[in-house]
Amino acid sequence: MKRRVPEGFWWVLPALVVLVSLSIYPLIYSVKLSLSNPGNFSRLFSDRLFAAAGVQTIVLTAAALTVEFLLGLALAVLIDSLARGRAFFRTGLLVPMLLPPVVAAVAWRLIYNPQFGMLNGMLRQIGFNTEWLTWTSGQNSALASVILVDVWEWTPFLFLLLSAGLQAIPPEPLEAARIDGAGAWRIFRDVTLPLLKPTILLALLLRAMDLVRIFDQIFILTQGGPGTATETVSLYIYRTAFRFSNFGYAAAMSFVLLAATMLFSRGLMRVMRSR
Amino acid sequence: MKTALKYLAASIAFIVAIAPVYWLITISLKREVDQFAYPPQWAGFVVTLEHYKEAFGSSSFSAYFLNSVLLAGISTSAALLIGVPAAYGLARFEWPANWGDRIGDWILSTRMLPPIVTIVPLFLMLREARLLNSLVGLSIVYTAFNLPFVVWMMRGFFDEVPREIEEAAMLDGESRVGALLRIVLPLVKPGLAATAVFCLVVAWNEFLFALILTQTEAAMTLPVGIASRVTQYEIKWGAMSAAGVVAMLPVLVFASAAQKYLVRGLSLGAVKG
Amino acid sequence: MRLLFSTLCLCLAACNRTPERSLTIAVNAGVEGTALKTAAKEWGSAHGVHIEVIELPYANLFEKEQLDLTSHTGAYDVLMLDDPWFPRMVQGGSLAQLPRQPDADFVTTCTDVCRNPYRTGAYYALPYVGNSQLFFYRRDLFAKYRFPAPNTWQEVLSAAQKIGAGEKMYGYVMRAAPGNAVVADFMPLLWAFGGDVLDASGKPVCDSPAAIEALRFMLELGKYSPPGYAGFNADEVSAHLLQSTAVMSINWPAWIAAMDDPSKSKVVGKIDFIPMPSGRAPGVGELGTWLLAVPTASKHSADAFDFIYWATEAAQMKQAALRGNPPTRRRVFEDINLIAKFRAFPAQLASLESARPRPRTPLWNEIENTFGIYLSKANAGAMDPAAAMRTAAAEIGKILERAQ
Repeated sequence: MKRRVPEGFWWVLPALVVLVSLSIYPLIYSVKLSLSNPGNFSRLFSDRLFAAAGVQTIVLTAAALTVEFLLGLALAVLIDSLARGRAFFRTGLLVPMLLPPVVAAVAWRLIYNPQFGMLNGMLRQIGFNTEWLTWTSGQNSALASVILVDVWEWTPFLFLLLSAGLQAIPPEPLEAARIDGAGAWRIFRDVTLPLLKPTILLALLLRAMDLVRIFDQIFILTQGGPGTATETVSLYIYRTAFRFSNFGYAAAMSFVLLAATMLFSRGLMRVMRSR
Repeated sequence: MKTALKYLAASIAFIVAIAPVYWLITISLKREVDQFAYPPQWAGFVVTLEHYKEAFGSSSFSAYFLNSVLLAGISTSAALLIGVPAAYGLARFEWPANWGDRIGDWILSTRMLPPIVTIVPLFLMLREARLLNSLVGLSIVYTAFNLPFVVWMMRGFFDEVPREIEEAAMLDGESRVGALLRIVLPLVKPGLAATAVFCLVVAWNEFLFALILTQTEAAMTLPVGIASRVTQYEIKWGAMSAAGVVAMLPVLVFASAAQKYLVRGLSLGAVKG
Repeated sequence: MRLLFSTLCLCLAACNRTPERSLTIAVNAGVEGTALKTAAKEWGSAHGVHIEVIELPYANLFEKEQLDLTSHTGAYDVLMLDDPWFPRMVQGGSLAQLPRQPDADFVTTCTDVCRNPYRTGAYYALPYVGNSQLFFYRRDLFAKYRFPAPNTWQEVLSAAQKIGAGEKMYGYVMRAAPGNAVVADFMPLLWAFGGDVLDASGKPVCDSPAAIEALRFMLELGKYSPPGYAGFNADEVSAHLLQSTAVMSINWPAWIAAMDDPSKSKVVGKIDFIPMPSGRAPGVGELGTWLLAVPTASKHSADAFDFIYWATEAAQMKQAALRGNPPTRRRVFEDINLIAKFRAFPAQLASLESARPRPRTPLWNEIENTFGIYLSKANAGAMDPAAAMRTAAAEIGKILERAQ
């Protein structure tokens, strides 16, 4: 066994030092913070607000992911099948994803304003009564409105990945199926989708990981409100730390979030390794 | 017929994607009375630059803009300076017992830490080091943020360059470092550029760390400045949207330049494209 | 390489941008902060001090100020704070004690909230925005239906029924969005019925019969309010008044100017402002003064104190009043020239002198948050009023327990 340090180690060392001091050390610090009050971890189980935040996060993640996936897949197939103008459509479709999330949220806040916003304005023009359409200010519609913004912003991401995945599919199996007389839908279901599976998995895991810790857009759109209608786990942690000044409990909760993200990242690694 | 439908669907999707951005731009150019007008005016309104003048003149947005520019530049440079050698080290050298991959995976996993987990300790750490509310402090945090990404992306690019090239150069008397600098790097220039662009965009768009770790004009960034205009009671849309438009322009320009590598970057190199 | 070096130099230069004499002032992004901003810039140029104003929306202002105070970072030299925040912010010696006591011209209720302990202790802030709730109602419509100005909440209810039906308007409008909005609009009712959030010993009593009655009355008023009021904030309430779609509401002096502004209002001159109606107990408006304080960690406290004393002088308060800022000095309220301009000043002064602050507890933020959730649920019809109050009391109890 070589006892010497591998030559590559010295090249990697600076990066390791930076990461250990700025990612790992804070993590350990966080553990210390959460343990400063032993009641913190038991409180996690009886905290109604935390449970509600957790449920809302799961609902948001599941809903946004499903819609973004289906729309993204549909768009990928659609744009791929166009003979001309693919680059044009693709450039336009990518815009929402490239914006700073804060700017996207600001644009939608303007759109959603119940009295002066563009959405209710347009709906009123075509005859709808918009008095009940409160979007992000209404308790029942706030979460759905936030999900809509995320769908608008991140469907392009899934579109892009799935599109690349579609293009990476070798033409032979498709040709073979076509020669065998299979219809377009059957080809899609039995040949394309299975070949696309690794990309799909990758896209879903990446997106899920980001959705679970969503913060920027909700902060701008509703700050977790009205009340706690759109308060996801990240926002509840933020509020506990910076409005109620309870850093220890916030740290304890953030480990639950970390556990969830690690689950997704573990899956992600496995998918990427298998290629 | 089917083709016409397809193009219609694609056009609708295109419009839905662009419309909110277009609306933001129009708000930033409309007078206040027109911003609240009913029915919503999409075109043909009186154009005014007063909001841009207000945002970047009397309000602090020019300071925020400068901060964002400096921050993105410094953290990207630092991340590349540290990350490229690390990527090279992982890609090129012999590692016992798969350690190279393990270290690479570990580095990547730090990217997956939710910011909210480390934010309070980082706040306290920066305060101890008296680096709170400073561009230096924030740059350090952003560098750590971007580092895993640089390592992962560049490792993929280095993997694509055959080892023989440097080996030939080293046989000719070149040192390892020289081979890297003079031979390999020029070969991965496009990949390097794409990685740099990604880091710039991430630093430019970042919000949570900047929100907590900055307190005054000295370090507040553009996203934080925009967020501070989002009030509950008064509707000051003009300055907010003007700043928003300025915030999104560099990103759109940069990202379209790196479009070719967008897929690889976003999927952490797992899908080539 | 050279690019890197020059960027580093630029960066370091950028870090040393703040000149020697400077003040960083954190203000509320909204009407309350506007007057202070202008005053600050004036004072700064007169004394050669560089002024930096950080404007933040309400919730984020609290977070940033609180973070600065608890970690003693000294980023801000002057803080603008809402009076309910005071009990928490003054903890741990984070706010610097005033070198001189405020003079007797200040309205007492405003200076009382600047003292720690409340009403008896030393002074840690100066009051700047003299805000206390008023009752806004359509004088012209009341005259049309021959109703006198409403003195009690029962009168409010009957007027809301009759006038609303007669004019096809909403007889009453209120805000019941969870959080600060609903709590602020509920407190006058709660107090008028003889209830409170916490009793003298600090125990939650919002589940008392009087409190539940008050909530039931609020729901009664809600029947004559616009649908969706359970999600309303201040601007929806004012919009209904301004657009002449509602007859009455509780509101803050900051909105008086808008009511008489022809560019914003359809009811110029038709709205009158009176003190809060009574119930079992005399009517009191909720106090909502904004205070100016200096953190102990500030590195420019001498200039900071100079500034806040200057800004709260009678002459400066008068200037600020002309800019739309409700004053906190009796002399300014009684100034004849100002009364000519601001017809509501006498009512404002009366309201301010009898106003009641929110419970003085450092935990008010959390308590208001919890209380607001259940109040809003009751108004949205999602919870029975008695159940809502009982759950609220239980949750508030838990908050108090945890803090022990």
